[in-house]
Amino acid sequence: MNKYLLVAKNTWYETVAYRFNFVMWRIRVVFQLLTVYFLWLAIIPENGDFLGYTKPLMLTYVLGTSLIASIALASRSYGIGDEINNGNLSNFLIKPINYFLYWFSKDMGDKAMNILFSVLELTMLFLLLHPPIFIQTNIFIIFLALISSVIALILYFLFNILLGLIGFWSPDVWAPRFIFIILLNFFAGSLFPLDILPKSVFYFLRALPFTYILYFPLKIYLGQLSQIEIYIGVFISAIWVLIIYWFVRIIWAKGIAAYTAYGR
Amino acid sequence: MVGKYLKIWWTMTRIASQIAFVSRFGAIIFILGKILRFAFFLLFLLLLISKTKVIVGYEIWQVILFFATFNLIDTVVQFFLREVYRFRSYVVSGDFDYFLIKPISPLFRSLFGGSDVLDISMLLISVGFVIMSIFKIGDISLSGVLVYLLLILNAFLIALTFHIFILVVGILTTEVDNTLWLYRDITQMGRLPIDIYKEPIRGILTFILPVGIMMTFPPKSLMGLLSIQSVMIALVVSTVLLYVSLKCWKFAISRYASASS
Amino acid sequence: MIISVSHLSKYYQAYQKAPGFLGSVRSLISRKYTTVKAVDGISFEIDTGELVGFIGPNGAGKTTTLKCLSGLLYPTNGKISVLGFTPFERKKEFLKQISFVMGQKNQLWWELPALDTLLLNKEIYDVPNNKFDEVIKELSKLLEVEDLLKIQVKKLSLGQRMKCELIASLIHFPKVLFLDEPTIGLDVVMQKKLREFIKEYNKRYKATIILTSHYMDDVEDLCKRVIVVNRGKIVFDGNLSDLIKRYAPYKIISVTLEENIDPKSIDSSLEVITFLYPRLVLKVKNEKVNDTASQILKNFKTRDLTIEDADIEDVIRRVYE
Repeated sequence: MNKYLLVAKNTWYETVAYRFNFVMWRIRVVFQLLTVYFLWLAIIPENGDFLGYTKPLMLTYVLGTSLIASIALASRSYGIGDEINNGNLSNFLIKPINYFLYWFSKDMGDKAMNILFSVLELTMLFLLLHPPIFIQTNIFIIFLALISSVIALILYFLFNILLGLIGFWSPDVWAPRFIFIILLNFFAGSLFPLDILPKSVFYFLRALPFTYILYFPLKIYLGQLSQIEIYIGVFISAIWVLIIYWFVRIIWAKGIAAYTAYGR
Repeated sequence: MVGKYLKIWWTMTRIASQIAFVSRFGAIIFILGKILRFAFFLLFLLLLISKTKVIVGYEIWQVILFFATFNLIDTVVQFFLREVYRFRSYVVSGDFDYFLIKPISPLFRSLFGGSDVLDISMLLISVGFVIMSIFKIGDISLSGVLVYLLLILNAFLIALTFHIFILVVGILTTEVDNTLWLYRDITQMGRLPIDIYKEPIRGILTFILPVGIMMTFPPKSLMGLLSIQSVMIALVVSTVLLYVSLKCWKFAISRYASASS
Repeated sequence: MIISVSHLSKYYQAYQKAPGFLGSVRSLISRKYTTVKAVDGISFEIDTGELVGFIGPNGAGKTTTLKCLSGLLYPTNGKISVLGFTPFERKKEFLKQISFVMGQKNQLWWELPALDTLLLNKEIYDVPNNKFDEVIKELSKLLEVEDLLKIQVKKLSLGQRMKCELIASLIHFPKVLFLDEPTIGLDVVMQKKLREFIKEYNKRYKATIILTSHYMDDVEDLCKRVIVVNRGKIVFDGNLSDLIKRYAPYKIISVTLEENIDPKSIDSSLEVITFLYPRLVLKVKNEKVNDTASQILKNFKTRDLTIEDADIEDVIRRVYE
């Protein structure tokens, strides 16, 4: 079996071995989801809407971003910083394996488990809470939403690496990551759909990468974007992927040079 | 005795702050992050209110009071109980054994002594917003403020018991971080008045996981919306929880087997 | 020559920080640093199948040299060629033929059985199925871990884990094996087992093995040839027997006396290092050791008598002098 596939498989089994940890994590996710869910349930009037979002649309948005989160955000690659710091990176430099692909594979293993649970949880919530939701029927739109989710996945992965590379120069990898997570929590749209913000703010956000991690894929799914808007969004997010990838390459090269200069 | 513990707490806090200062860059970033988090959610609330005028019957400054109170309690709790976040490393490495040997209550040591002075900035911001919203709401009596402060203290006590339970789980299973973060996620539900949650969630959040008692009761009492019975219930709940948690702690200590190398 | 090193130097900057709070503040403004010469102009060549020991006190530059040879560090000066490659270019074909076992850094996945990591390494190094089965069978038999491969790594003892880590590093039959302080932290029995394994592996597979250690026992047991480094320079490169003959032709005899003795009753030709009843420590030339020991046991009432090698730090000191 291909080595990277094996890494993903091992990560899956590792998650099974760490099941208590994992289940606790999923419980936390459910609590966070419920908080947002009930907030919007309370705010949106019964047959009315909040800035264009009816109950079905908003609740679909909230539940949907939760699913996209398990696709795009579930990861292990936040561990890169510590691995560089404690010198375990050496173990990989000595092997003929691509470090990025290795971590990407670990992420994939993690995502698989998270997606499985997310689907189970959402099904359970659906049966318990009976939320009115919106089902997209256009296959092509669903397809575009999936494409956008994959771009979101890659984008977030690259961000994780970028933050992890700080480990080459500083033992403190968690502080920058903390700020990143806070920014992500608001600007990716997990708390609210970004287009409820004032137009000028929203236009600015459309240029940022965060928008395309959760908000954009869901917005496509909700069928509220025109074809042009979808293509433009995909284009912008793809550009961001290239930009961040480029940064990653440069900083990695510098980092490795520093690492192999000083050793760990 | 109290003086001794106070002195020890102060020394440990000084050390913890020095350690934080060594990674000065990181410490400042963390504070910045917390302030941002507060600011973003506040802006979100303002956005909501600007369109809906009320959230479950509460107007803007009332909603802000709920959020600011949550932040105040949350920050106070984190400030004093920061050491719990390090507990796992102590148990796993076996350092916890040293706690048990020293002539200081290991419970005290495990709970307090890791305070980060930088958290004070967030504390001040919360206090500032609480005061601001109190003035904006107006129509506040002195007794209301006193009950408010009493219930804040009560909330801290409940939080304390939760942290003790977390320590107990940590001793018995070496699992700390997840339960700690679970506590944070559950209490986060109190950022807004728990009125927004439907039953049975609201009931659960009031009596079983007393987030409602911690976060929603204080502002409600300030606004004269809380009955005397509720205040009584709040105090009883915290007392009972405290008693149970201390019993559990004693149990955990007696079951403790030190970690192998 | 499978490995050739010519005038290798590795210098790096170490920052100095004054202690205490004020020191932290000062370090915000200006930092002083010194140049540390970890490796300072060393040259040597190693042939296929050799088992060479790099010995020296802590900080002598042993690990740094190994890291340069494996590509983990790039040299400040000098040329290195291993298997015809320049190590720090870290070409895939180069990496497939080497292995580096570093003390505390584990590569086994903690929550999974060791076998899973071995299978992963099989894929990483492109080891064909039959070779893989062969190496697992042989190595696990040699190390006596046949039944342990399917148990979760976290459930294994330290010694068992080390053995599995070793197998994981050898899955691809590396032509060159770097071992950095392989016996550190292990008990005496494990140390011996590990040494036997390394010796056997070198004999059977003709792998070139370079190990660093500051235990004299490791080196005595394994290496015919030793390279002694001190403060970044080579102070001796040759056969171990020559080293001992030349620089440490003595042993330390430590006696725990049962009954006090008159210091004059000790043969004046013997060199006394310590005499503080009940301890008596003598430095005795190798040829005289057996005689001296039996004399002591005959003439004095003793509770305990041990014969130890010269401390390697002592040997190095002598070599350097």
